[in-house]
Amino acid sequence: MMTNHGNRLTQGQFSYLPDLTDSQITAQIEFALSKSWAIGVEYTDDPHPRNTYWEMYGNPMFDLKDPAGILKEINACRKTFPNHYVRVTAFDSTQGVESVRMSYIVNRPKNEPGFGLARQEIGGRQIQYTVHSYATDKPEGERY
Amino acid sequence: MIDLVIGYTAIQSMAVWARKNDMILHLHRAGNSTYSRQKNHGMNFRVICKWMRMAGVDHIHAGTVVGKLEGDPMMIRGFYDTLLDTHTPMQLEKGLFFEQDWASMNKVMPVASGGIHAGQMHQLLTYLGDDVVLQFGGGTIGHPMGIQAGATANRVALEAMVLARNEGRDIWNEGPQILKDAAKWCSPLKAAIDTWGDISFNFESTDTADFAVTPTASM
Repeated sequence: MMTNHGNRLTQGQFSYLPDLTDSQITAQIEFALSKSWAIGVEYTDDPHPRNTYWEMYGNPMFDLKDPAGILKEINACRKTFPNHYVRVTAFDSTQGVESVRMSYIVNRPKNEPGFGLARQEIGGRQIQYTVHSYATDKPEGERY
Repeated sequence: MIDLVIGYTAIQSMAVWARKNDMILHLHRAGNSTYSRQKNHGMNFRVICKWMRMAGVDHIHAGTVVGKLEGDPMMIRGFYDTLLDTHTPMQLEKGLFFEQDWASMNKVMPVASGGIHAGQMHQLLTYLGDDVVLQFGGGTIGHPMGIQAGATANRVALEAMVLARNEGRDIWNEGPQILKDAAKWCSPLKAAIDTWGDISFNFESTDTADFAVTPTASM
């Protein structure tokens, strides 16, 4: 049987690939800027798949058009939160879209414990299943 | 999941029901060919796309160009534009005869399925773009290393291709090499390409443009 070795979190558009290098990240920033999408940096230590709204590292960079400046901002976030998940998002304000068009992880904690299956017994001996992140057993800020 | 054969009134009622019950309405298009294949009766699939968008359907199978659901690339583009754009200008080469402003009408997500596999990823991304649901059924479950490996292979192929496309590489021509490079570190992808890499469905589409773009000399 195949398993997810190292429990790598698979969220966002490039999470099945090896970690992106700075030059690869810059190429993706350039692509987003060429489409006039606004780039934002977000971090979290709660990797649950339904945790959609991560903490924002500053405001989305609506006016910044310089890939090097944006990479600097990403690296500042990675330096501040070396053991959190950090992702880069690109927001498309076009009418009819008005949502995030790109999202990819650029930083991961050193150890990712992964997810367990939680069984909850409810009425009539039925069982409800859900996923549970082992990391969130600890309080915020002490998880990784 | 519903099919076209259920009938148009039922589809509209089901769209209302699906919204009330937190469900996405997936429309499989069985029945389509009975009225869209023949040029001399019935109607084109574009019309179905338009109706289904107005009826409140969320997903619709709209052809793949390269898979077993045949389709002419420009005709498929016409279906996709009808499903996704907020404004469709007249584009005769895509079969769009009239301009249409969709205002804020909900979009329908096109679905590509049927005989597609990881080895075609560069073609799928070029023809179908980003706003599409790619369904690999046999291309996942038929993987020699198991279903999880099949899913991983498809996902790695897609991500590697999107990454390369965004970096400005010519995926149409470099696609097979991009997949080979990714297969070097991803054994499930290598197995998928070894299994299906050469398989393609080559048959002429019956749905062709009624209008040919031919330049006319201006006097």
